[in-house]
Amino acid sequence: MEAGVSAPTGDVLAVDELTIRFDGHGVDLVDRASFRLGRGETLCLVGESGCGKSITALAVMGLLASPPARITRGRALFQGEDLLSMPRKPLADLRGNRLAMIFQEPMTSLNPAFRIGDQIAEAVVRHHGVSQQEGRARALDVLRRVRIPAAEKRLDAYPHQLSGGMRQRVMIAMALVNRPDLLIADEPTTALDVTIQAQILALIAELQREAGMAMILVTHDLGVVAEVADRVAVMYAGRFVETGPVDAIFSDPQHPYALGLIGSLPSLGKREGRLATIAGSVPPPQRFPAGCRFATRCPFADERCAREVPPLVETSTPGHQVACFKAPLEIHVGGLAA
Amino acid sequence: MWSLILRRLLVAIPTLFLVMVFVFILQRMLPGDPLLVMAGEERDPVVLEELRKLYGFDRPIPVQFLIWLREVATGNFGASLRTGAPVTELIAQTLPVTIQLAVASLIIALLIGIPTGVLSAVKKGTWLDYLANAISLSGLSIPNFWLGIILILFVSVNLRWLPASGFVSVFDDPVEAFRTTIMPAFVLGTGLAATLMRHTRSAMLEVLRLDYVRTARAKGLLESKVILKHALRNALVPIVTLSTLLFGQLLAGAVLTEQVFTIPGFGKLIVDAVFNRDYGVVQGVVLCTAVAFILMNLIADVLYIVINPRLRTT
Repeated sequence: MEAGVSAPTGDVLAVDELTIRFDGHGVDLVDRASFRLGRGETLCLVGESGCGKSITALAVMGLLASPPARITRGRALFQGEDLLSMPRKPLADLRGNRLAMIFQEPMTSLNPAFRIGDQIAEAVVRHHGVSQQEGRARALDVLRRVRIPAAEKRLDAYPHQLSGGMRQRVMIAMALVNRPDLLIADEPTTALDVTIQAQILALIAELQREAGMAMILVTHDLGVVAEVADRVAVMYAGRFVETGPVDAIFSDPQHPYALGLIGSLPSLGKREGRLATIAGSVPPPQRFPAGCRFATRCPFADERCAREVPPLVETSTPGHQVACFKAPLEIHVGGLAA
Repeated sequence: MWSLILRRLLVAIPTLFLVMVFVFILQRMLPGDPLLVMAGEERDPVVLEELRKLYGFDRPIPVQFLIWLREVATGNFGASLRTGAPVTELIAQTLPVTIQLAVASLIIALLIGIPTGVLSAVKKGTWLDYLANAISLSGLSIPNFWLGIILILFVSVNLRWLPASGFVSVFDDPVEAFRTTIMPAFVLGTGLAATLMRHTRSAMLEVLRLDYVRTARAKGLLESKVILKHALRNALVPIVTLSTLLFGQLLAGAVLTEQVFTIPGFGKLIVDAVFNRDYGVVQGVVLCTAVAFILMNLIADVLYIVINPRLRTT
């Protein structure tokens, strides 16, 4: 199994200029988001709540409720097929099969009326046309893989009989039962206790390595990113402001927002000086600036930033892109991050 | 669950006692004297006095009540003042009629109400939704007796398809039973279907936006299965409870419809008994209705637990 840390051969997923608008909003909540994902690679989508990470993930899965959401532009090629323009039926054939998703809320993501085993088996039966018996056998197998203790007994348990951590394991089992090529995990640990968070994350990372699948991990936890990501895409107000290899992003953030984000990470920031924060807060979509959407909070912003949208441009590091007229920032201020 | 049932049954005892007190007092407050009819044209005071003594109506009302209470407690519901037939026998004759009508009505209500409710929830905001809502609103606002009369006029009198009145038990002649029951059941059922439709719609809308519905879609299930299995199974929880309560209502509340279609059911029995001041029959029927209602409530509670895994104790 190849570890695809750098330059993967053949993209599992290639998203191009994905643009999403919600009815009633006169602005694109996701604006021309583009990214690629190789086999076995982990891409972390990072950003504050409401920056469009989850919407992007749901759009790729075809799970955005439409209306109100409308994808007005872009493609999402999954192994060569465009997920966004695919009819319902073939898309449903991919979902839960080669393309799977784990959600943020394990407490409400399982159907309270059905047994765990049946809910997992359902995905197997749906995509492989096996018997219910065989489906349950595979459900048991995958429950063991996600290390649920006394898995045989859990098959017949109802969701309410399990803890949050156990339920998230069940969700992971459900997503992985058909051995997908791409796993999208939308803040899979946010709702869990801190101790459980680490366990679940380690489990996901391990299963991902085992299966060699690609993963998009949506998170706002930079500690998590540092641990699992191969590449990082930083989102702000619906746009990708910086993407690149995880090392480049952490050691040499170029976008003022990314810089603030990394700087505000206590465990990584050097002990000198105060904790860095970003002044202000994300404006509501109606009040997104016309140019760079970070312009209103950016200490370096000038007139051009307020007027023009900065494109993603390659920096000196290969694969590292930033959307900022002012990058690299060292030109303007020395040692701002510390 | 057994403790719940036991608790409910214990609570039922004071409820029933109150029902008995009320029906007894209200009835005695009604103007009119059942014995006047029995005493005949002359209304001979001596005969009246004798009758009064015979039926115990000369005693104070609280004493009469206690006597009735004692009789009921020993299983004796008394007899009709008019015909002398035992009340239990009258109930045994008419209750199955009403049950057959109620079951048929509920089936019709469920067959109409749930699919339209699901459909209008899934197609929320489209013309289908509005159409279903408009129909259900008219179903709620059209009075049963009026719909009954119109149906009789069209289907029975003009088209001569179905009999206008009467009743045949499903155990005697299923075909004829269907022919006599379908129209009154339709009249009762459509009214309930409107209620069921609205509740199904709101329950489905509630459920459809929940996370586990998204999970079902993420599994790649087709939309029909997402809706009919994952969403409906949960939306049905309140619907089952509602249906049980509606069934209890049907047992007691088919009075008008039974009158229109001259069905010899429970409703007709009690209306006739009230008009005739047939004390024993009224008391017996009301008591029986109260018991049926309490039972239906209990069944609703039990069903709620049975179909809701979260409430089941393991």
